[in-house]
Amino acid sequence: MAHAGADRPIPPGSAPRRMSSGMRLLLGNEFGLAVLILLTVAIFALTLDGFTSPFSIYTIGRQIGIDTMIGLAMMAVIVTGGLDLSVGAIGVCSAMFFGWLMQVMGVPVLVAVPLAVLFGAGLGFVNGFTVVMSGVHSFIITLASMSIFFGVMIFLTRAAAFNGLPPQVQAFGKMRVLQGISPLLLIAVAVCAALVVFYRYSTLGRQMLAAGANARAAELSGIRTGRVIVACHMLTGLLAAIAGLMVTARTGAAVPSMAGQLGQDWLLPAFLAPVLGGTLLSGGRVSVIGTLLGATFINIMTSGLLLMRVGEFWILAFLGVMLLIAVLADRTRQIFLTSRGMI
Amino acid sequence: MTALQVSHVSKSFPGVRALHDVSMTMTAGSVHALLGENGAGKSTLIKIVTGICKPDSGTVSMNGATVRFANPRQAAAGGLGVVHQERNLVTRFSVGENILLDRLGNRALSLVDYTSLHREAEKWLKLLDLDVDPRTIVSRLSVAQMQLVEIGKALSLQSRVLLLDEPTASLTPNESKVLFRVLRRLRDDGVAIGFVSHKLEEVFDICDRVTVLRDGRNACDSAGLSQLDRNDVVQMMIGRAERITTRAPRPGTDAAPYLELRGYGSGAGHRDINLTVRPGEIVGLYGLVGAGRSELARAILGLSKQVAGEVRVLGRAVHISSVAQALHHHGIGYVSEDRKAEGLILMHSVLANGGITIWRKLANALGLLRDTTIAARVGPVLTRLEVKTPSVHQITGNLSGGNQQKVSVAKWLAAGVRLLIIDEPSVGIDIKTKAYLHDLIHELAEQGTAILLITSDMPEMIDVADRILVMDGYRIKGEVGNDRSYDPVSRAIMGLIHDRAAA
Repeated sequence: MAHAGADRPIPPGSAPRRMSSGMRLLLGNEFGLAVLILLTVAIFALTLDGFTSPFSIYTIGRQIGIDTMIGLAMMAVIVTGGLDLSVGAIGVCSAMFFGWLMQVMGVPVLVAVPLAVLFGAGLGFVNGFTVVMSGVHSFIITLASMSIFFGVMIFLTRAAAFNGLPPQVQAFGKMRVLQGISPLLLIAVAVCAALVVFYRYSTLGRQMLAAGANARAAELSGIRTGRVIVACHMLTGLLAAIAGLMVTARTGAAVPSMAGQLGQDWLLPAFLAPVLGGTLLSGGRVSVIGTLLGATFINIMTSGLLLMRVGEFWILAFLGVMLLIAVLADRTRQIFLTSRGMI
Repeated sequence: MTALQVSHVSKSFPGVRALHDVSMTMTAGSVHALLGENGAGKSTLIKIVTGICKPDSGTVSMNGATVRFANPRQAAAGGLGVVHQERNLVTRFSVGENILLDRLGNRALSLVDYTSLHREAEKWLKLLDLDVDPRTIVSRLSVAQMQLVEIGKALSLQSRVLLLDEPTASLTPNESKVLFRVLRRLRDDGVAIGFVSHKLEEVFDICDRVTVLRDGRNACDSAGLSQLDRNDVVQMMIGRAERITTRAPRPGTDAAPYLELRGYGSGAGHRDINLTVRPGEIVGLYGLVGAGRSELARAILGLSKQVAGEVRVLGRAVHISSVAQALHHHGIGYVSEDRKAEGLILMHSVLANGGITIWRKLANALGLLRDTTIAARVGPVLTRLEVKTPSVHQITGNLSGGNQQKVSVAKWLAAGVRLLIIDEPSVGIDIKTKAYLHDLIHELAEQGTAILLITSDMPEMIDVADRILVMDGYRIKGEVGNDRSYDPVSRAIMGLIHDRAAA
């Protein structure tokens, strides 16, 4: 087979060679983010007093853990090309359920945690099932469910916080392990590791990516895309519930307003972390590590700006600008992929 | 008179020399074929002419003056119209709006004058023999009519050079005839027409001159077609003579049917379908576009509801409600006609596409599986199909059309399906790969796979199928035994289709 050109048959037994790994590295956001993080940390550490104090490092790390979790929750549904506006509502509802289980029902902490996490997955199921059955875009469905979940929760709890949680909960939130690291950050890192394995090595994870990249092709290849999309929403709910429990541990109480009205305060980090990290908004490609790095970057910037006494409202504006930049990067990536015939 | 001249154009992309010293001269009042296998450089040449790509060296000139279009808009303004393979119409707008889309109004807020717009559009529709009201919404048109609207759109820009990229790919023979009539008239009016096609019959039917590209070089530069015959052209395209069908008719089989439909009706609109496919048999399903063939394939896979009759797999009545069930329980696979939208996940790797059908089977108790496990199953199939890729981790979208098609077949072979439904296997595929796929289909049948072949390509049907079911209007009109003699078989098939018109 004499054939001029770059193509050639696969030589038997050849080691898998990645196409231009340099390009891949630059295409992904992880590399750029890592450089950016190192730069900002260096600048803040040199110019700002107290940025590197043990307390500052501890609180930044703890918040990175929580924001990573929120970002992962959104990432799990962005995989399908959809989104979930109700992540905050699910997180708060699961946290309130967690508080109710312990304070009212007297359920021990170690039992309440898995129950609350499953509760979050259940709310995710409601979202996913409605999205798949109705065929309506997840934007509308989760806009509705956000209000419903939050509204019902406020009605049931009379908007009152659960303050009498077992002391272990708050102790966990204040705990320092390995010389000053919050266990909340460690949990987030562990969940990241589990998700990397999940998307790379599990059948369901691969099916999620396939259904997200091209649902019709996936369906015609024997994947039950409907079920897979429901599973994506359940994973989102589950991760959002974990994030809710982490916030509960930090505050030491389950408070209805912990994520703002309707849980909307979570939406900015929820989109920023994965999109900065290089998860494709149109679906089919995730970056778990990128989400962790994205959450890290926004928290370092936020903390640095706070130490510089920049007003909170400016920080919000700054995060908004970051989101726009990240979305533009996402568009550029898509145009690049389209021009190479990959979408 | 020379309308468009490409002189000594070269173009390299990273790692690939796409064009090397290519020339082409298009004359006003002539239809010029641009031929070549996939990857020969046709698309790159069109991109350079229309300003999507810049040549590394060489020039493009129109009417004697060198042009350097920065983008297709400029090219259109300069009198160079292109009709691409993909539809570029706004389907929710009217025919008239589409034709004059970029001239709806002078300013952003000026109102559109619909009366004069539709009058103007009507002029172009008349020229194209297209008998539709310019107020019709484009989505109501047939594919062929849309094609003509696109040509009208290109012509309305006063194009004196018109490039058509595979204009007949989705047209029926009759629709193609209409198109050709229009093209001939345009030619007589002095338009220079460039015509890209994989169908050589059409090329000899309508073109005067031909430029053939092979591996990015001129195999011939604007030669007169009258001095060439089909074999010459094929030889230039692939560097050797076309293999003429020598496949003998295969002996019939009396094995128990693998799939049997009896009085089957589907939610998609099929009625009274009777069909059997036996192991080792290649059953052809011929029909014009819109006859309901692909829809029948989808219905069998469970994508439409069964509303009447019976479906039997190996003699047992079954209800198939999803592709997953068809694949995992009944061993049925489907190679889609629309490779890009349905057959493959282009942004994922070759390995992910080849293994998608067997992930479930290969996963361990925890639902986990490794790339190496999948590669062990998919690798041999890719090697057997001679898929050309630098590695199995290559992004599928980077492969050539022929290799992509092989991957979309490979996933079903990896899954070891017993019945393979193959829908238009050679759309957008070069001659070499096409012949290869035909051999492969025969080989699979020899090994006992039941094959249901859907194609609108008559020579392909007669070359490959054992017997041919003719479909029209979501019904089976009859069956034709295939003894590989082209004229009688094709006449019998067309007879069955036109039976409807007579009745």
